[in-house]
Amino acid sequence: MDGLFTADIENRGLVLDPRTKLFVIITLVIFALGGTGSDIAAVRYGTAAVSILPAVLLLTAKQYGKAAVFGILFVAVKAAQLLLLPYITGAALSILGICCMVFVRLMPGLIMGAYMLSSTTVSEFIAAMHRMHIPQQITIPLSVMFRFFPTVLEEFTSINTAMKMRDIRIGGKYAGRFIEYRLVPLMVCSVNIGSELSAAALTRGLGTKVRRTNICRIGFHVQDIAVLILTAGLYILWILGMIGVVI
Amino acid sequence: MKGKDLINIGIFSAIYFVIVFIVAMLGFIPVFLPLLAVLVPILGGIPFMLFLTRVKKFGMIWIMSAIMGLLMLLTGMSWPPLAVSVVSGLIAELVYKSGNYQSASKAVLTNGVFSLWVAANYLPLFFAAEKYWSTRQNFGQDYIDTVTKLMPTWMCPVMFIVAFVCGILGGLLGRALLKKHFEKAGIA
Repeated sequence: MDGLFTADIENRGLVLDPRTKLFVIITLVIFALGGTGSDIAAVRYGTAAVSILPAVLLLTAKQYGKAAVFGILFVAVKAAQLLLLPYITGAALSILGICCMVFVRLMPGLIMGAYMLSSTTVSEFIAAMHRMHIPQQITIPLSVMFRFFPTVLEEFTSINTAMKMRDIRIGGKYAGRFIEYRLVPLMVCSVNIGSELSAAALTRGLGTKVRRTNICRIGFHVQDIAVLILTAGLYILWILGMIGVVI
Repeated sequence: MKGKDLINIGIFSAIYFVIVFIVAMLGFIPVFLPLLAVLVPILGGIPFMLFLTRVKKFGMIWIMSAIMGLLMLLTGMSWPPLAVSVVSGLIAELVYKSGNYQSASKAVLTNGVFSLWVAANYLPLFFAAEKYWSTRQNFGQDYIDTVTKLMPTWMCPVMFIVAFVCGILGGLLGRALLKKHFEKAGIA
Protein backbone atom coordinates (compact mmCIF):
# COMPACT_ATOMS: atom_id res chain seq x y z
CA MET A 1 0.00 0.00 0.00
CA ASP A 2 2.87 2.39 0.09
CA GLY A 3 2.38 4.67 -2.84
CA LEU A 4 -1.01 5.73 -1.54
CA PHE A 5 -0.86 9.44 -2.28
CA THR A 6 2.80 9.46 -1.36
CA ALA A 7 4.21 10.57 -4.69
CA ASP A 8 7.87 11.45 -4.94
CA ILE A 9 7.51 15.04 -6.09
CA GLU A 10 11.14 15.42 -7.19
CA ASN A 11 11.16 12.52 -9.58
CA ARG A 12 7.80 11.57 -10.99
CA GLY A 13 7.97 12.56 -14.63
CA LEU A 14 4.98 14.11 -16.30
CA VAL A 15 2.49 15.69 -13.91
CA LEU A 16 -1.21 15.55 -14.66
CA ASP A 17 -3.92 17.47 -12.88
CA PRO A 18 -5.77 15.22 -10.37
CA ARG A 19 -9.04 16.16 -12.07
CA THR A 20 -7.75 14.77 -15.37
CA LYS A 21 -6.92 11.48 -13.70
CA LEU A 22 -10.36 11.38 -12.10
CA PHE A 23 -11.97 11.96 -15.50
CA VAL A 24 -10.00 9.07 -17.03
CA ILE A 25 -10.99 6.76 -14.16
CA ILE A 26 -14.66 7.62 -14.57
CA THR A 27 -14.43 7.11 -18.34
CA LEU A 28 -12.79 3.72 -17.89
CA VAL A 29 -15.44 2.74 -15.39
CA ILE A 30 -18.24 3.73 -17.77
CA PHE A 31 -16.81 2.19 -20.95
CA ALA A 32 -14.39 -0.60 -20.00
CA LEU A 33 -16.13 -1.89 -16.90
CA GLY A 34 -19.69 -0.83 -17.67
CA GLY A 35 -19.49 -1.91 -21.29
CA THR A 36 -21.32 1.22 -22.45
CA GLY A 37 -21.70 1.44 -26.21
CA SER A 38 -20.06 -1.94 -26.78
CA ASP A 39 -22.59 -2.59 -29.54
CA ILE A 40 -20.85 0.09 -31.64
CA ALA A 41 -17.64 -1.13 -33.27
CA ALA A 42 -15.91 2.25 -33.17
CA VAL A 43 -16.56 2.59 -29.44
CA ARG A 44 -15.14 -0.90 -28.86
CA TYR A 45 -11.87 0.08 -30.55
CA GLY A 46 -11.88 3.39 -28.71
CA THR A 47 -12.39 1.61 -25.38
CA ALA A 48 -9.45 -0.68 -26.08
CA ALA A 49 -7.33 2.37 -26.90
CA VAL A 50 -8.30 4.21 -23.72
CA SER A 51 -7.83 1.00 -21.69
CA ILE A 52 -4.17 0.98 -22.62
CA LEU A 53 -3.85 4.62 -21.52
CA PRO A 54 -3.03 3.73 -17.85
CA ALA A 55 0.06 1.87 -19.09
CA VAL A 56 1.18 4.95 -21.04
CA LEU A 57 0.54 7.17 -18.03
CA LEU A 58 2.52 4.83 -15.78
CA LEU A 59 5.38 5.16 -18.26
CA THR A 60 5.25 8.95 -18.08
CA ALA A 61 5.27 8.68 -14.29
CA LYS A 62 8.51 6.64 -14.51
CA GLN A 63 6.89 3.51 -13.12
CA TYR A 64 8.31 1.36 -15.88
CA GLY A 65 7.92 -2.04 -14.23
CA LYS A 66 4.21 -1.68 -13.53
CA ALA A 67 3.62 -0.16 -16.96
CA ALA A 68 5.36 -3.03 -18.77
CA VAL A 69 3.56 -5.75 -16.81
CA PHE A 70 0.14 -4.22 -17.30
CA GLY A 71 0.70 -3.19 -20.92
CA ILE A 72 1.96 -6.59 -22.07
CA LEU A 73 -0.69 -8.48 -20.07
CA PHE A 74 -3.50 -6.32 -21.41
CA VAL A 75 -2.44 -6.66 -25.03
CA ALA A 76 -1.95 -10.41 -24.62
CA VAL A 77 -5.29 -10.97 -22.94
CA LYS A 78 -7.14 -8.73 -25.38
CA ALA A 79 -5.52 -10.56 -28.30
CA ALA A 80 -6.42 -13.92 -26.78
CA GLN A 81 -9.99 -12.76 -26.33
CA LEU A 82 -10.32 -11.59 -29.93
CA LEU A 83 -8.30 -14.24 -31.77
CA LEU A 84 -8.30 -17.37 -29.63
CA LEU A 85 -11.75 -17.55 -28.04
CA PRO A 86 -13.83 -18.04 -31.20
CA TYR A 87 -11.91 -21.22 -31.96
CA ILE A 88 -12.08 -23.13 -28.70
CA THR A 89 -15.03 -24.85 -27.06
CA GLY A 90 -16.09 -26.59 -23.86
CA ALA A 91 -14.61 -26.15 -20.40
CA ALA A 92 -11.42 -24.48 -21.60
CA LEU A 93 -13.55 -21.85 -23.29
CA SER A 94 -15.51 -20.96 -20.19
CA ILE A 95 -12.48 -20.78 -17.90
CA LEU A 96 -10.38 -18.78 -20.33
CA GLY A 97 -13.36 -16.68 -21.33
CA ILE A 98 -14.15 -15.63 -17.76
CA CYS A 99 -10.53 -14.81 -17.01
CA CYS A 100 -10.30 -12.69 -20.17
CA MET A 101 -13.59 -10.94 -19.52
CA VAL A 102 -12.86 -10.08 -15.89
CA PHE A 103 -9.34 -8.96 -16.72
CA VAL A 104 -10.22 -6.81 -19.72
CA ARG A 105 -13.11 -5.12 -17.94
CA LEU A 106 -11.68 -4.72 -14.46
CA MET A 107 -7.95 -4.18 -14.82
CA PRO A 108 -7.79 -0.86 -16.72
CA GLY A 109 -9.79 0.87 -13.99
CA LEU A 110 -7.78 -0.71 -11.20
CA ILE A 111 -4.46 0.17 -12.81
CA MET A 112 -5.64 3.72 -13.42
CA GLY A 113 -6.60 3.87 -9.73
CA ALA A 114 -3.15 2.64 -8.77
CA TYR A 115 -1.59 5.26 -11.04
CA MET A 116 -3.75 8.01 -9.56
CA LEU A 117 -2.89 7.07 -5.97
CA SER A 118 0.83 6.67 -6.62
CA SER A 119 1.34 9.84 -8.67
CA THR A 120 -0.63 12.38 -6.64
CA THR A 121 0.15 13.91 -3.27
CA VAL A 122 -2.50 14.38 -0.61
CA SER A 123 -2.21 18.16 -0.88
CA GLU A 124 -2.73 18.11 -4.63
CA PHE A 125 -5.72 15.86 -4.25
CA ILE A 126 -7.26 18.11 -1.63
CA ALA A 127 -6.53 21.18 -3.77
CA ALA A 128 -8.33 19.52 -6.68
CA MET A 129 -11.28 18.66 -4.45
CA HIS A 130 -11.47 22.31 -3.36
CA ARG A 131 -11.52 23.47 -6.96
CA MET A 132 -14.38 21.06 -7.62
CA HIS A 133 -16.27 22.61 -4.70
CA ILE A 134 -16.44 19.40 -2.70
CA PRO A 135 -17.54 20.43 0.82
CA GLN A 136 -15.17 20.45 3.79
CA GLN A 137 -17.17 17.66 5.40
CA ILE A 138 -15.77 15.30 2.80
CA THR A 139 -12.29 16.75 2.25
CA ILE A 140 -11.23 16.86 5.93
CA PRO A 141 -12.01 13.19 6.69
CA LEU A 142 -10.37 12.21 3.40
CA SER A 143 -7.17 14.10 4.08
CA VAL A 144 -6.98 12.76 7.65
CA MET A 145 -7.54 9.29 6.28
CA PHE A 146 -4.76 9.44 3.72
CA ARG A 147 -2.43 10.90 6.31
CA PHE A 148 -3.36 8.08 8.69
CA PHE A 149 -3.09 5.08 6.34
CA PRO A 150 0.68 4.56 6.59
CA THR A 151 0.50 4.80 10.40
CA VAL A 152 -2.21 2.17 10.68
CA LEU A 153 -0.35 -0.18 8.34
CA GLU A 154 2.90 0.30 10.22
CA GLU A 155 1.19 -0.48 13.52
CA PHE A 156 -0.51 -3.47 11.96
CA THR A 157 2.80 -4.89 10.71
CA SER A 158 4.37 -4.56 14.16
CA ILE A 159 1.38 -6.15 15.90
CA ASN A 160 1.43 -8.93 13.32
CA THR A 161 5.09 -9.66 14.08
CA ALA A 162 4.50 -9.64 17.82
CA MET A 163 1.57 -12.04 17.53
CA LYS A 164 3.49 -14.38 15.25
CA MET A 165 6.16 -14.59 17.95
CA ARG A 166 3.47 -15.74 20.37
CA ASP A 167 2.35 -18.33 17.81
CA ILE A 168 -0.96 -16.58 17.22
CA ARG A 169 -1.14 -17.12 13.46
CA ILE A 170 -3.07 -19.18 10.94
CA GLY A 171 -1.93 -22.74 11.47
CA GLY A 172 -0.28 -21.85 14.77
CA LYS A 173 -1.09 -23.07 18.26
CA TYR A 174 -3.51 -20.25 19.04
CA ALA A 175 -5.10 -19.73 15.61
CA GLY A 176 -8.48 -19.11 17.25
CA ARG A 177 -7.31 -15.79 18.64
CA PHE A 178 -6.01 -14.73 15.25
CA ILE A 179 -8.43 -11.90 14.60
CA GLU A 180 -9.12 -10.64 18.11
CA TYR A 181 -5.45 -10.41 19.09
CA ARG A 182 -4.67 -8.36 16.01
CA LEU A 183 -7.61 -6.03 15.64
CA VAL A 184 -8.04 -5.07 19.29
CA PRO A 185 -4.47 -3.78 19.82
CA LEU A 186 -4.63 -2.11 16.42
CA MET A 187 -7.79 -0.29 17.41
CA VAL A 188 -6.51 0.80 20.81
CA CYS A 189 -3.26 2.25 19.47
CA SER A 190 -4.97 3.80 16.43
CA VAL A 191 -7.45 5.60 18.65
CA ASN A 192 -4.64 6.96 20.82
CA ILE A 193 -2.55 8.09 17.87
CA GLY A 194 -5.73 9.46 16.32
CA SER A 195 -6.48 11.75 19.23
CA GLU A 196 -2.93 13.10 19.11
CA LEU A 197 -3.28 13.64 15.39
CA SER A 198 -6.54 15.45 15.82
CA ALA A 199 -5.01 17.77 18.43
CA ALA A 200 -2.18 18.53 16.00
CA ALA A 201 -4.58 19.11 13.12
CA LEU A 202 -6.78 21.45 15.16
CA THR A 203 -3.69 23.45 16.11
CA ARG A 204 -2.99 23.92 12.43
CA GLY A 205 -6.45 25.29 11.88
CA LEU A 206 -8.25 22.33 10.39
CA GLY A 207 -11.99 22.61 10.84
CA THR A 208 -12.16 26.36 11.22
CA LYS A 209 -14.68 28.35 9.25
CA VAL A 210 -12.10 30.28 7.25
CA ARG A 211 -11.01 29.28 3.78
CA ARG A 212 -7.75 27.33 3.97
CA THR A 213 -4.99 28.08 1.49
CA ASN A 214 -2.95 25.52 -0.38
CA ILE A 215 0.48 25.96 -1.95
CA CYS A 216 0.03 23.24 -4.56
CA ARG A 217 -0.05 24.51 -8.11
CA ILE A 218 -2.57 22.46 -9.96
CA GLY A 219 -4.03 23.30 -13.32
CA PHE A 220 -4.55 22.01 -16.82
CA HIS A 221 -1.48 21.90 -19.06
CA VAL A 222 -0.72 20.55 -22.53
CA GLN A 223 -0.49 16.97 -21.31
CA ASP A 224 -3.85 17.29 -19.54
CA ILE A 225 -5.49 18.63 -22.67
CA ALA A 226 -4.06 15.76 -24.74
CA VAL A 227 -5.36 13.14 -22.31
CA LEU A 228 -8.71 14.90 -21.97
CA ILE A 229 -9.21 15.13 -25.74
CA LEU A 230 -8.34 11.45 -26.16
CA THR A 231 -10.76 10.41 -23.42
CA ALA A 232 -13.51 12.79 -24.49
CA GLY A 233 -13.19 11.34 -28.00
CA LEU A 234 -14.68 8.14 -26.65
CA TYR A 235 -17.84 9.96 -25.55
CA ILE A 236 -18.06 11.64 -28.96
CA LEU A 237 -17.72 8.29 -30.74
CA TRP A 238 -20.46 6.94 -28.53
CA ILE A 239 -22.83 9.82 -29.30
CA LEU A 240 -22.01 9.56 -33.01
CA GLY A 241 -22.74 5.84 -32.80
CA MET A 242 -26.04 6.45 -31.04
CA ILE A 243 -27.27 8.76 -33.79
CA GLY A 244 -25.94 6.37 -36.40
CA VAL A 245 -23.05 8.30 -37.96
CA VAL A 246 -20.46 5.62 -37.20
CA ILE A 247 -20.99 1.94 -36.59
CA MET B 1 -20.26 18.85 13.28
CA LYS B 2 -16.94 20.21 14.44
CA GLY B 3 -13.41 19.63 13.21
CA LYS B 4 -12.85 16.92 15.77
CA ASP B 5 -15.81 14.89 14.52
CA LEU B 6 -14.57 15.13 10.97
CA ILE B 7 -11.11 14.00 12.03
CA ASN B 8 -12.66 11.06 13.88
CA ILE B 9 -14.45 10.05 10.69
CA GLY B 10 -11.11 10.14 8.87
CA ILE B 11 -9.36 8.02 11.49
CA PHE B 12 -12.00 5.32 11.59
CA SER B 13 -12.36 5.32 7.81
CA ALA B 14 -8.63 4.63 7.63
CA ILE B 15 -8.85 1.68 10.04
CA TYR B 16 -11.91 0.34 8.24
CA PHE B 17 -10.31 0.66 4.84
CA VAL B 18 -7.12 -1.07 5.94
CA ILE B 19 -9.30 -4.06 6.87
CA VAL B 20 -11.08 -3.83 3.51
CA PHE B 21 -7.71 -3.66 1.80
CA ILE B 22 -6.28 -6.69 3.58
CA VAL B 23 -9.42 -8.72 2.88
CA ALA B 24 -9.49 -7.54 -0.74
CA MET B 25 -6.01 -8.99 -1.19
CA LEU B 26 -7.66 -12.38 -0.77
CA GLY B 27 -10.12 -11.40 -3.50
CA PHE B 28 -7.41 -11.65 -6.11
CA ILE B 29 -7.87 -15.40 -5.82
CA PRO B 30 -11.18 -15.64 -7.73
CA VAL B 31 -12.74 -18.22 -5.38
CA PHE B 32 -12.50 -15.73 -2.55
CA LEU B 33 -14.18 -12.95 -4.48
CA PRO B 34 -17.73 -13.66 -3.17
CA LEU B 35 -16.26 -14.04 0.32
CA LEU B 36 -15.58 -10.29 0.45
CA ALA B 37 -19.25 -9.72 1.20
CA VAL B 38 -18.85 -12.03 4.20
CA LEU B 39 -15.48 -11.01 5.63
CA VAL B 40 -15.58 -7.24 5.24
CA PRO B 41 -18.85 -6.69 7.18
CA ILE B 42 -17.80 -9.08 9.97
CA LEU B 43 -14.27 -7.76 10.49
CA GLY B 44 -15.25 -4.19 9.73
CA GLY B 45 -17.90 -4.45 12.44
CA ILE B 46 -15.20 -4.21 15.09
CA PRO B 47 -13.87 -0.72 14.24
CA PHE B 48 -17.32 0.40 13.16
CA MET B 49 -18.92 -0.37 16.53
CA LEU B 50 -16.14 1.57 18.20
CA PHE B 51 -16.74 4.40 15.75
CA LEU B 52 -20.44 4.43 16.67
CA THR B 53 -19.57 5.18 20.28
CA ARG B 54 -18.08 8.46 18.97
CA VAL B 55 -21.05 9.35 16.82
CA LYS B 56 -23.19 11.96 18.48
CA LYS B 57 -24.13 14.24 15.62
CA PHE B 58 -26.14 13.78 12.47
CA GLY B 59 -24.15 13.03 9.34
CA MET B 60 -21.08 11.21 10.65
CA ILE B 61 -22.14 7.73 9.52
CA TRP B 62 -23.42 9.13 6.24
CA ILE B 63 -20.10 10.82 5.48
CA MET B 64 -18.09 7.70 6.34
CA SER B 65 -20.31 5.67 4.05
CA ALA B 66 -19.91 8.16 1.21
CA ILE B 67 -16.14 8.10 1.70
CA MET B 68 -16.11 4.31 1.34
CA GLY B 69 -17.98 4.65 -1.95
CA LEU B 70 -15.63 7.40 -3.09
CA LEU B 71 -12.61 5.22 -2.32
CA MET B 72 -14.08 2.41 -4.38
CA LEU B 73 -14.42 4.85 -7.28
CA LEU B 74 -10.83 6.03 -6.81
CA THR B 75 -9.49 2.49 -6.77
CA GLY B 76 -11.34 1.80 -9.99
CA MET B 77 -14.14 -0.37 -8.63
CA SER B 78 -16.76 1.63 -10.54
CA TRP B 79 -19.59 3.94 -9.48
CA PRO B 80 -22.37 1.63 -8.16
CA PRO B 81 -20.67 1.36 -4.73
CA LEU B 82 -20.73 5.16 -4.43
CA ALA B 83 -24.39 5.37 -5.47
CA VAL B 84 -25.40 2.63 -3.03
CA SER B 85 -23.20 3.86 -0.18
CA VAL B 86 -24.70 7.36 -0.27
CA VAL B 87 -28.21 5.92 0.11
CA SER B 88 -27.41 3.09 2.54
CA GLY B 89 -25.28 5.46 4.62
CA LEU B 90 -28.24 7.81 5.04
CA ILE B 91 -30.50 4.91 6.05
CA ALA B 92 -27.87 3.67 8.52
CA GLU B 93 -27.64 7.20 9.91
CA LEU B 94 -31.40 7.37 10.38
CA VAL B 95 -31.48 3.92 12.03
CA TYR B 96 -28.85 4.94 14.57
CA LYS B 97 -30.48 8.33 15.06
CA SER B 98 -33.79 6.64 15.92
CA GLY B 99 -31.99 5.15 18.92
CA ASN B 100 -30.78 8.61 20.00
CA TYR B 101 -27.20 7.67 19.04
CA GLN B 102 -26.81 5.35 22.01
CA SER B 103 -29.00 2.27 21.56
CA ALA B 104 -26.83 -0.87 21.41
CA SER B 105 -29.27 -2.96 19.39
CA LYS B 106 -29.79 -0.13 16.89
CA ALA B 107 -26.00 0.07 16.56
CA VAL B 108 -25.84 -3.58 15.49
CA LEU B 109 -28.58 -2.95 12.93
CA THR B 110 -26.71 0.15 11.76
CA ASN B 111 -23.66 -1.96 10.95
CA GLY B 112 -25.88 -4.28 8.91
CA VAL B 113 -27.24 -1.42 6.81
CA PHE B 114 -23.85 0.27 6.55
CA SER B 115 -22.30 -2.94 5.14
CA LEU B 116 -24.56 -2.91 2.07
CA TRP B 117 -22.00 -0.92 0.06
CA VAL B 118 -19.69 -3.95 0.04
CA ALA B 119 -22.24 -5.92 -1.96
CA ALA B 120 -22.56 -3.05 -4.44
CA ASN B 121 -19.04 -3.83 -5.63
CA TYR B 122 -20.47 -6.83 -7.43
CA LEU B 123 -23.12 -4.88 -9.31
CA PRO B 124 -21.03 -4.23 -12.46
CA LEU B 125 -20.69 -7.98 -12.90
CA PHE B 126 -24.48 -8.28 -13.17
CA PHE B 127 -25.24 -4.97 -14.83
CA ALA B 128 -26.11 -4.86 -18.48
CA ALA B 129 -25.12 -8.50 -18.85
CA GLU B 130 -27.53 -9.11 -21.71
CA LYS B 131 -26.32 -6.13 -23.67
CA TYR B 132 -22.78 -7.26 -23.08
CA TRP B 133 -23.49 -10.69 -24.51
CA SER B 134 -25.53 -9.45 -27.45
CA THR B 135 -22.33 -8.08 -28.96
CA ARG B 136 -20.40 -11.26 -28.34
CA GLN B 137 -22.50 -13.86 -30.10
CA ASN B 138 -19.41 -15.12 -31.91
CA PHE B 139 -18.15 -16.61 -28.64
CA GLY B 140 -20.82 -19.26 -29.01
CA GLN B 141 -23.97 -19.89 -27.02
CA ASP B 142 -22.05 -22.51 -25.05
CA TYR B 143 -19.76 -19.92 -23.51
CA ILE B 144 -22.53 -17.43 -22.80
CA ASP B 145 -24.54 -20.11 -21.01
CA THR B 146 -21.59 -21.11 -18.82
CA VAL B 147 -20.86 -17.56 -17.75
CA THR B 148 -24.44 -16.68 -16.98
CA LYS B 149 -24.75 -19.91 -15.02
CA LEU B 150 -21.77 -18.91 -12.87
CA MET B 151 -23.09 -15.40 -12.30
CA PRO B 152 -26.88 -15.73 -12.33
CA THR B 153 -28.85 -12.55 -11.85
CA TRP B 154 -30.54 -13.81 -8.67
CA MET B 155 -27.10 -13.82 -7.02
CA CYS B 156 -27.30 -10.03 -7.01
CA PRO B 157 -29.94 -9.61 -4.26
CA VAL B 158 -28.42 -12.58 -2.44
CA MET B 159 -25.13 -10.67 -2.18
CA PHE B 160 -26.94 -7.75 -0.53
CA ILE B 161 -28.70 -10.06 1.93
CA VAL B 162 -25.41 -11.81 2.73
CA ALA B 163 -23.71 -8.46 3.35
CA PHE B 164 -26.58 -7.34 5.61
CA VAL B 165 -26.64 -10.54 7.67
CA CYS B 166 -22.87 -10.56 8.02
CA GLY B 167 -23.07 -6.91 9.00
CA ILE B 168 -25.39 -7.88 11.86
CA LEU B 169 -22.96 -10.64 12.88
CA GLY B 170 -20.05 -8.23 12.68
CA GLY B 171 -22.01 -5.76 14.80
CA LEU B 172 -22.55 -8.41 17.46
CA LEU B 173 -18.88 -9.36 17.35
CA GLY B 174 -17.87 -5.72 17.61
CA ARG B 175 -20.30 -5.26 20.49
CA ALA B 176 -18.79 -8.23 22.34
CA LEU B 177 -15.23 -6.98 21.86
CA LEU B 178 -16.32 -3.50 22.88
CA LYS B 179 -17.55 -4.87 26.20
CA LYS B 180 -14.59 -7.19 26.66
CA HIS B 181 -11.74 -4.81 25.83
CA PHE B 182 -12.49 -1.25 24.92
CA GLU B 183 -14.73 -0.29 27.81
CA LYS B 184 -12.12 -1.66 30.19
CA ALA B 185 -9.41 0.31 28.40
CA GLY B 186 -11.54 3.42 28.65
CA ILE B 187 -11.69 4.22 24.94
CA ALA B 188 -15.25 3.16 24.15
